[in-house]
Amino acid sequence: MPRQSAVDLAERIRIQAERSGAQEAETYLESGTTTEARLRQGQVELFQQSSILGLGLRVFRDRRMGFLYTTDLRETVLNELVNRTLALTNMATPRDENKITETLAVTQSDLELRDEAVVRLRPEDLIRFARTAEESAFAQDKRIQTTKDVRCGTAVAEVYFSNTYIARQTYRGTTVWLSATPVATQGSQRREGSFIDRKRFLADLARPEQIGQRAVERALAKLGGTPVPSVRVPVVFSAEAAGVFLQGLFAAFSALNVLEQRSFLTGKLGQSIASPAVTIVDDGTMRRGLGSRYFDGEGGETNRTVAVDRGVLRQYLHSAATARRMNVPPTGNGLRSYDTLPAIGPTNFYIDYGSTGTDRLRREVDRGLYVTGLAGFGVDTVSGEYSQQVEGQWIEKGELTKPVEGVTVAGRLDEMLLGIDGVGTDLEFRSNVASPTIRFKELTVAGGA
Amino acid sequence: MSRRDFLRRGAYLTSAIAAGLPEAVSLLHPKTADAAIMGIGQELRDVLNEETVNRILQEALARGGDFADVFAEQRFRTAIVLDAGKIDSVTYGYPRGAGVRVARRNQTGYAFSDEISYSSLLDAARVASTVVETQSRTNPIDVTRRNLQPPFTLQNPEPLMLETAKFDVLRRMDAAARGVDPRIVSVRIEYVDEVRDVLIGTSDGVYVLDRQYLLSVSCVPAAQAGGKRGSGLATMGGRVEADYFVRRSPEDAARQAALQAVRLLDAGPAPAGPMPVVVAPGWGGVLIHESLGHALEGDGVRRGTSLLTGLGGTRVASPLVRVVDDGRWPNGRGSSAADDEGTPAQRTVAVEAGVLQSYLLDKQNAALLGLRSTGNGRRMSYRNWPIPRMTNTYIDSGSSDPASLLNGIAKGFYAAELGGGSVDTTSGNFNFAVREGYWIENGRRTRPVRGAVLVGNSLETMKRIEGIGSDLVIELSRGTCGKDGQMVPVGVGQPTVRFSSITVGGPSI
Repeated sequence: MPRQSAVDLAERIRIQAERSGAQEAETYLESGTTTEARLRQGQVELFQQSSILGLGLRVFRDRRMGFLYTTDLRETVLNELVNRTLALTNMATPRDENKITETLAVTQSDLELRDEAVVRLRPEDLIRFARTAEESAFAQDKRIQTTKDVRCGTAVAEVYFSNTYIARQTYRGTTVWLSATPVATQGSQRREGSFIDRKRFLADLARPEQIGQRAVERALAKLGGTPVPSVRVPVVFSAEAAGVFLQGLFAAFSALNVLEQRSFLTGKLGQSIASPAVTIVDDGTMRRGLGSRYFDGEGGETNRTVAVDRGVLRQYLHSAATARRMNVPPTGNGLRSYDTLPAIGPTNFYIDYGSTGTDRLRREVDRGLYVTGLAGFGVDTVSGEYSQQVEGQWIEKGELTKPVEGVTVAGRLDEMLLGIDGVGTDLEFRSNVASPTIRFKELTVAGGA
Repeated sequence: MSRRDFLRRGAYLTSAIAAGLPEAVSLLHPKTADAAIMGIGQELRDVLNEETVNRILQEALARGGDFADVFAEQRFRTAIVLDAGKIDSVTYGYPRGAGVRVARRNQTGYAFSDEISYSSLLDAARVASTVVETQSRTNPIDVTRRNLQPPFTLQNPEPLMLETAKFDVLRRMDAAARGVDPRIVSVRIEYVDEVRDVLIGTSDGVYVLDRQYLLSVSCVPAAQAGGKRGSGLATMGGRVEADYFVRRSPEDAARQAALQAVRLLDAGPAPAGPMPVVVAPGWGGVLIHESLGHALEGDGVRRGTSLLTGLGGTRVASPLVRVVDDGRWPNGRGSSAADDEGTPAQRTVAVEAGVLQSYLLDKQNAALLGLRSTGNGRRMSYRNWPIPRMTNTYIDSGSSDPASLLNGIAKGFYAAELGGGSVDTTSGNFNFAVREGYWIENGRRTRPVRGAVLVGNSLETMKRIEGIGSDLVIELSRGTCGKDGQMVPVGVGQPTVRFSSITVGGPSI
């Protein structure tokens, strides 16, 4: 279906919902095209290209909320779904906070979310980037004989929004990504390393050669890894590892989890929850940010929110509903796709860069662990416990001495955050959640006997 | 729900249909169980009959290629969330679409459309075929409808229950969890069910239709006291009948979850370091899923990146171990009549007496390895191409008395309930979280400890299995596996299993 007729249809369906008994209704239409090529050993192993078009409709009736989503945009089907959803909505519980946004988000200056150069990329371009990255990987070292794959892709997307009070609003965005996963072999041992870059603008993407090279460095660094004996030592998280850790921590900042007593940060507003070196920001208005948008999934204004200011917890992150419940301004974190309800999520969420040189964070450690990778689940934001599988390098007298794997690091999140005694300067966004290198004063490393 | 209630409800639905529902949503409310079976995939078939599928596949292979398939799907989902004692949201979801794949040796082209029409799928076929660079001719394609042998038949599937009955289950769970202890400060319950119709047509002549029902309920109570917090978890569901909630008490499940949350308030820190570990039956099967299961999947084996590449016929686990992947396990989350490539689901013994017997294969990787598909080609939805995935994977029952497996352990760790896990199939390094653990002291389970992650290397850890209980349980109500961005429901299982040593990743040295 052409996009314009889909938008017109979405409008008609919203109006029909209002006529059929919804006091308020909201449409969220998503359309876009995703293209990806995957190469392995110089050959295209996968090529995929598809367009999506999906509709989400929220209806409110007597402060009850109902939701439907579908990719079936036949009008008769939609009419029927609306009627069924309205009937279902009657069974929900009225809640004061069930109310849709009435005010239009203030138009932001140009956030630079869409790059025509990404739109113009052809499949052959993606294949060429991937091929260059893979060739660069093979050229680095004889121990790289194969790759798991190399991927290059683009997404061109558009969001369309309207509700009972707010007329049509829309924004468009692009994303381009390139990743390489070479496998290093030494004797009978095989280790893979992965590096991915993801950007809104093609010009900002790391060069394919760099991606191949960084991935190879990671794979080679893992060869010969062993556990270390269990010990309590200083632990440095690389920027990438710290970003993954922060992603796990996000749920603790969700105002819904705070309200429902499911966050260890409940009741800590205004208190020091981290060392003064730590500032944590959620910024939906960052220029070219992967998580930036002109309005959130509820039509609300996006913001730059300082959640933790030099160690002090200043704000939780909100959807429109939690902001109403706590009687504070919303932060524009009601995020969604067409097939999900708005839920509190990170826009561009990061630990702000600090003042300590990244090398110094390691050199100051007499004996400790430098963590380059985290795997699996680890952060329990309810109980505040942390335990996670990690890999990295052992530090002796400030130098990386040997690869480490098969170990975990563990601690209590409140003590860990207060114990961050160094924040690096190397903040880079390759995902919408990011951090510079950080150092924990002391964590438990569990490994061999 | 009794048969009589079901029929009464059927009458209600009949009137709804008589009132002029469009066909597109009729699958939601089949008039009777018989009609439900008659009507499987009918709406998909209206557009994609054998003739149109033949023509789409012909177009897909027009530029050459070894294989092509068409996969069409529609789901109807009902989701209800109860939080803080209130029905927070209610959702109907009706995603629908179809995709075309073209494969030539190790190359795959894929394109889908959210709109199911002949013309949109012809377009998808052309896009998918661009991956192929030869101009070889394709023989005419002639798909034939195959009747699938379902692994089990649901007379009255739970997702067809009246909505009011579903709300009732949530409210009962909420009340039961809150009633356990004043320290329970919040309860969140999520209910999701779905009816999924699929249509698969393949260039090797298969044309099948299937309908799959799935129910997933999770209940998460949180407890708080004296600045400490803990959460519990109960899950219910599977591919089950409407009388499921009569056979299994939702209240009991919710109370267990609440008790777990309260117990964790007082639990001590988990130990750190290697020690003997005993893992409880059922959901403990996450361990085999991560440690060996993913490495058995045929894509990594074919690429040579899986640690199990070339190890067929060799010892990969203790001789006590039999590992089975069974896509036909009754009511299993990973069960279906056929996989998402139209291959009938089957039971595969992957490891017998510790020796690697079979990989888990989809059509493409099987062909590249010179083997046959084991019915493990699965996909998240029509927006994804199939890749080799587990179905219901378990360590089979052994001969030990489960209680005896703690004997002789002076100091060890008992994993009572696991969380999730992950694995790097190249190195074999894997982890699984424990939600609730206990010390083992002098052969007895003693003090509770908070969760921790356990880590190990697949081949080393599987060789350290020194005892397997006779108490196999397959978990039917939880298990969603993510790989390559695709989430699929899976079953896992095991009896009580004892390891001579695993590294426990707690904070306490």
